[in-house]
Amino acid sequence: MATRKKVLLKVIILGDSSVGKTSLMNQYVNKRFSNQYKATIGADFLTKEVVVDDRVVTMQIWDTAGQERFQSLGVAFYRGADCCVLVFDTTAPNTFKNLDSWRDEFLIQASPRNPEHFPFVVLGNKIDLENRSVSTKRAQQWCQSKNDIPYFETSAKEGINVDIAFQTIAKNALAQETEDLDTTSGFPNITLNADNNPRPSNDGCQC
Amino acid sequence: MLGQSANEADFKERLIANVKKEVKQIMEESVTRKFVHEDSSTVVSLCGAVEACLSQGLRRRALGLFKTSSTTALLHKISSQCEEAAHVSKKIHDIEAADPSKRSSSSSDSIIKPPILTKKGSSNSVGGGTPTAVSNNSQPSMKYLWIRIALYEKKLTRIIDHLVANANRYYDKDALVADSDYGSILSSLLVGPCALEYSKAKTLDHFWTDPTANDLVQRHIIPSQTTPQSSRRPMLNIKRIHTSSDDSGINSYKSNSPASTAKDYVESLHQNSRATLLYGKNNVLVHPKDVAEPMLGYLSLHQSINFLTIKWTPNQLMNGYNEQSLPSSAGSITSASEVDKSFFWAYVMNINIDDIVYVHCHQNRSSEETSGTIILVGHDGVQRPPIHFPEGGHMAQFLGCLETGLLPHGQLDPPLWSQKGIGRIFPWPVKSRRRFGGLPSVLENNDELPIDYVFRVVNKSNPEEFLATHPIMEVGRTSPYRRHLSSCSTNESSDGSSKSISLDLVESTTIQQPTNNQATSIALVCTTMKRQIISRAFYGWLAYCRHLSTVRTHLSGLVHGRITPDIGADNGLTEERWREMHDDEGVISQDCEVYRLVYYGSVAHEIRKEVWPYLLGHYTFGMTSNERKELDENTRHYYETTMSEWLALEAIVRQLDKEKTAHAVAKLSSGGSASDSKVKCGVDVDVEMENEVFEENGFSDGSDVEFSEEKSPVKKQSREHIQNNNSKSLDTEKGQKETELMEVDIKSSPSTSSYETVGTDFIDYVDKEGFPLSPKLNPTAVIVTDASIDMTNIPQSAIDGNKETKEILETVNEELSPNSLDALQEPKSACVSPASSNGGIYTNEQLELFGLNLHRIEKDVQRCDRNYWYFANENLDKLRNVITTYVYEHLETGYMQGMCDLLAPLLVIFDDESLSYGCFCRLMERMIENFPNGGAMDMHFANMRSLIQILDSEMYDLMHAHGDYTHFYFCYRWFLLDFKRELLYADVFSVWEVIWSAKHVSSSHFVLFLALSLLENYRDIILSNSMDFTDIIKFFNEMAERHNVSSILKTARNLVLQLQVLIENK
Repeated sequence: MATRKKVLLKVIILGDSSVGKTSLMNQYVNKRFSNQYKATIGADFLTKEVVVDDRVVTMQIWDTAGQERFQSLGVAFYRGADCCVLVFDTTAPNTFKNLDSWRDEFLIQASPRNPEHFPFVVLGNKIDLENRSVSTKRAQQWCQSKNDIPYFETSAKEGINVDIAFQTIAKNALAQETEDLDTTSGFPNITLNADNNPRPSNDGCQC
Repeated sequence: MLGQSANEADFKERLIANVKKEVKQIMEESVTRKFVHEDSSTVVSLCGAVEACLSQGLRRRALGLFKTSSTTALLHKISSQCEEAAHVSKKIHDIEAADPSKRSSSSSDSIIKPPILTKKGSSNSVGGGTPTAVSNNSQPSMKYLWIRIALYEKKLTRIIDHLVANANRYYDKDALVADSDYGSILSSLLVGPCALEYSKAKTLDHFWTDPTANDLVQRHIIPSQTTPQSSRRPMLNIKRIHTSSDDSGINSYKSNSPASTAKDYVESLHQNSRATLLYGKNNVLVHPKDVAEPMLGYLSLHQSINFLTIKWTPNQLMNGYNEQSLPSSAGSITSASEVDKSFFWAYVMNINIDDIVYVHCHQNRSSEETSGTIILVGHDGVQRPPIHFPEGGHMAQFLGCLETGLLPHGQLDPPLWSQKGIGRIFPWPVKSRRRFGGLPSVLENNDELPIDYVFRVVNKSNPEEFLATHPIMEVGRTSPYRRHLSSCSTNESSDGSSKSISLDLVESTTIQQPTNNQATSIALVCTTMKRQIISRAFYGWLAYCRHLSTVRTHLSGLVHGRITPDIGADNGLTEERWREMHDDEGVISQDCEVYRLVYYGSVAHEIRKEVWPYLLGHYTFGMTSNERKELDENTRHYYETTMSEWLALEAIVRQLDKEKTAHAVAKLSSGGSASDSKVKCGVDVDVEMENEVFEENGFSDGSDVEFSEEKSPVKKQSREHIQNNNSKSLDTEKGQKETELMEVDIKSSPSTSSYETVGTDFIDYVDKEGFPLSPKLNPTAVIVTDASIDMTNIPQSAIDGNKETKEILETVNEELSPNSLDALQEPKSACVSPASSNGGIYTNEQLELFGLNLHRIEKDVQRCDRNYWYFANENLDKLRNVITTYVYEHLETGYMQGMCDLLAPLLVIFDDESLSYGCFCRLMERMIENFPNGGAMDMHFANMRSLIQILDSEMYDLMHAHGDYTHFYFCYRWFLLDFKRELLYADVFSVWEVIWSAKHVSSSHFVLFLALSLLENYRDIILSNSMDFTDIIKFFNEMAERHNVSSILKTARNLVLQLQVLIENK
């Protein structure tokens, strides 16, 4: 009996506290925004079925606590991740600056097989707010410097760019998973990531 | 004209391609998910695509359809000639009659035309057109109603065939349906989707749809047939043995077999995430009782975590079974009409291998149509209906799969492939070994080798017992009364209840055996059983002793030895009782009684405010009311003093923030020029990003360089300012001048002034303390000292100033220029105590740390319980004040997420900042250990593990099987916040009280038992769904604030008692 393995993509959302990780996840999965979310303690996840490249895959999106103190907890959750979403708040420069350490920490703790090409996606959230203080250009520059991480500017509140961002996340995660399979089965490593990087959105660019 | 026809052809091509795509999609879905939900969007898209094809070139006018222009009308039109169409048409009519509101939408299905029909000619409309149209419709389930129904009813192909055959009547010449090629392509494309089953129900087996926790709980409440396997508890095992009728083999689907259940059952036969399909064979003959002839059916072997199940389902019930296309050997049965399908449910077999002891195999040489027959015999000795395998080694395959499935916890005895060395565990009589060794070849050479075999199903989940029973089995083996049965002993997994099970077995076996064996074998069975019982009793006792020793060594510390009775404590601590306890001076001395009452029945809400400080240890029992008042006063004073200290700091932090924000905004608006060069960009990041408050001064060496490139006027000023400070530092002679300069600075840029003032205070103080400078020295002379240089030299102890220095400082402050003082005090208007000192003794690090914590606190306070009425208003500020005060006092620990949650209930009860603060400090003494860097969390996890092992071995096995469970991360939030996030506010109060009083009554680790109680409460759901690490996290996250607290508390108390008793009965 030919059975097809169900594809489960594990996605981890990281970023400083109150940058909107929980909101982004809920906006994407439940199409809902609430200003009632509390600080996430421990970890939670939601699942969503998506169609990527004509395949039905299940995305398991993990939402984590933002305070770096709780990162040690992450190991259990980071394991087996297919994609890591780094979120910062476009109105809080610190949260952007900390992306570096979030990324490094993730790579250390999750220790993916191919850290150089592990798929990250960066989301600059809260673009609906007035007091923006991280420019698109700077975020893009950072992303480019890190092996061309796809960058999206989102608003979990207004639902701007959330779907497309997560679609990209799913796509890259799937590519990662396929790549993993390829490497294990001894096939030459096909860099699926190369053409998967979507053009960063220019919405809300203030340059 | 030519171009147009080419365009037409192209259009038709695209229509067909679209149908193809949708068909592919739906088939894909049916493969990946094993079922297609009726409301699935793929169904809607497919129907849309079909509709598009059917409406193309429809001769509306000729048919009088121009008003509605609907294919639905077309359907009604052809229903007189086409039987299937009539059927569907009637269905639609019924639906519309049942719900008139749906009429409009069903007839509107062509009004909201898919964009594809607009023929705008661009190729992309085909790809993306239909789904868009679907999403536009608010009622997708009602769209394309007739096509959907025809699809569900599997009539669509024939209707389209009819349309194609009679296309000239309904369609234009160049219509797609009229086209000889496209028409047949269309109908043949739809054959696949028409063969699919469409399900409306979500079933237990559809785990990939991730049922919500609520669903799971609901399902569990309904005592449904869908979870018969959850009954693995010993109690139910015994029950099962008693119901030793034939029904135990044949699932009682007779009673309730609505179509949906049937469909779901069939779907459960497929491989899914919970059960692995080990073996599947169609057209296996089974001869159920009460049936004249054997029936063909689908035999499958499923393995889930705990069970191995053999299922057999009559062909009549299987997907896509078609009476006409399948010549049936059981003609009398299939002649029954489709309506009577439910009748077949009586014959479905659903056998749990745990119930099976023997597998009899018969080679049927005489008959030509079967190569082997298997008869399963249960513990009760009752035979299940024989299973006849078709020729071709299917029986051997089945046995092979069965053996694989039994591993590692069980096996077939004798091992199937013992000659290969697999499973050679014990000696086997030579005769038998030869017999079984030849089994694989048996099936090839039917004539030469013996025909019948008996395998025993051995479950060795308890290896000790397995080995222990082995010698006993030898007894049976050597006895002469054995032809078919290789051994008469049974063996099955057992926990504590092994004794009772065995007894049942004896009973049932002795009753049942005569039907199968000669009377003499009963004696043998009895002896065997007796021995087995004795050995089991012994091993049970041994296990129990080990068990107890584990309990004693590891867990005795968790509970108190003495058991406090709960007599008369049902109502808890009532107001009346509480008042009675006070003596004339307001002293409460009966602390034990208070704890006891609270532990068993919580506190009446009205007196919580009074009782909690006692429970938390803020007040001690025996205090008079005056003493309490004094304590309150002291607490308030301390609280206000501390608060005023950090308020001063806060002001500084705020101002620096403002400056930084202004800078960042200025930066951003000044455009990309700032980030032109890479080096410069890095610098920008440093300057902007740093949360450190004293960036400029703390790293003044570097910042000079950076700032020289600055364009912002604000920065420029501060740069000059710093340079001045640097160049003139330690230059006491020029002090006076410098002060003047500073004042100018302060006036022109108020944003920096407060910092300077603090710096002044600090340096002033330092000089007095750390250096032998004369106190009489003009303070202005000291101001010029660069703070950053000196501060690094000062030992921390010197900074934690005593009151004396503070007083001096205050006087110094008064001497200072009024400008700077104003700047400092302006933002302090919210300060509670007018007697506050300015407390301006901060190092860079302290200020930086405090600023960091302040931001964190603000982020969390803002989103702490804002949906709870109490925090809907300015009370959030109170929360913030208390938290900040606590954090200020414990800066080295700092703020950690979760603290707000712990404070909030206290504040709600007390509605008083200083009292909340006092109690919060007490609470945190215990809770702080749970936070990262504390060791308590790991200890909790380890204890949980041991407790589950002791108190619920079945749950432990499940957790063990999943491995990951041992992390117990799903308990993380429970322990970190004392279940605050899991419960509603009203429940949090009572649970917390019980936790606090439990420390004195039964256990200082009561949270563990609460956690266990939560697990126990849902144990059946967890076990029956065989939840893994992620499932359980999701389940409990979704169940938050929905628990039945009184029952959970009760269970928790019982668990404590259980452990206490266990330890006491050494």
